[in-house]
Amino acid sequence: MALQTLLLEPLLAAGAAQPALFSLTNCLILAGVIFAAGAWGVIARRNLLVMLISIELMLNAVNLAFISFARAHANLAQQTLQPYAGETGQLCALFVIAIAAAEAAVGLAIVIALFRNRQTVDTRELRTLQQ
Amino acid sequence: MANLTDAVFLVSAVVCAGCAVAIVSRKNPVYSVVYMLPFLLGMTTLFVLLDAAFLAAIQMLVYGGAILVLFLFVLMLINLRPEELKSDFAAAPYALTTLGAAMLAGAVYLFARHGVAADLREAFARPVGEQFGSVGSLAGPLLQQHVVPFELASVLIVVALLGAVLLAKKKI
Repeated sequence: MALQTLLLEPLLAAGAAQPALFSLTNCLILAGVIFAAGAWGVIARRNLLVMLISIELMLNAVNLAFISFARAHANLAQQTLQPYAGETGQLCALFVIAIAAAEAAVGLAIVIALFRNRQTVDTRELRTLQQ
Repeated sequence: MANLTDAVFLVSAVVCAGCAVAIVSRKNPVYSVVYMLPFLLGMTTLFVLLDAAFLAAIQMLVYGGAILVLFLFVLMLINLRPEELKSDFAAAPYALTTLGAAMLAGAVYLFARHGVAADLREAFARPVGEQFGSVGSLAGPLLQQHVVPFELASVLIVVALLGAVLLAKKKI
């Protein structure tokens, strides 16, 4: 009897009070994983295009974190009595998207200019300043 | 209802994380760009789940419609040699990679164990207002309180446009 309660009660409690999968913690963990993948791509890859895509990955991860916190603080407007206070995180994400678009355009233009002059986008061969 | 939300979150999170790893680990950059599409779809699904309807639409338009196509175009314009696709990874980042993966695993473990502040733990279960994340509720603060950064963003986009044309043009 004692053994049964010892074994069963934690299981039953875990089943009853199962925390929701869709939570702020899990969203932030996902954002961290995506950001780490992007950072790894920038550090380990030697192709300028893939490095640019990895930067976009990192910006997307930041957007996810911003929007998760905006959702978690959605009722901030009622608490602080300032209208639209809860949407500040989404506004930040909007600015991040605008800056990401500008960054992609300029970065790809640099890639095209580099390729025209050097016929490569491999960062191992683009080290004139190092020598 | 809660279970459906959890299931959608699980699917899009797995798709996003898997595609993010695939984007950085494929040798051929064409595959990297193609894997961006399911990644962005999963990201948009997450935005919808997080009650950011307007941002989900913008994400699909700007990333899926503009940035992805831009990457594909540039990939076609620059003619990669086959030997450039062979060994794309840095010489020996294995020690650093292992260290980074260990640090990420430790951070995720600690974060999953202790998590966020107690009052935010069940924050996603609370209902939001009807207008949360709509165009109007974003346009209000954007044009009233944050009008200077908004205008600066337009200046930034014009400068980026001119800079991209100047950089990519052969003879000015």
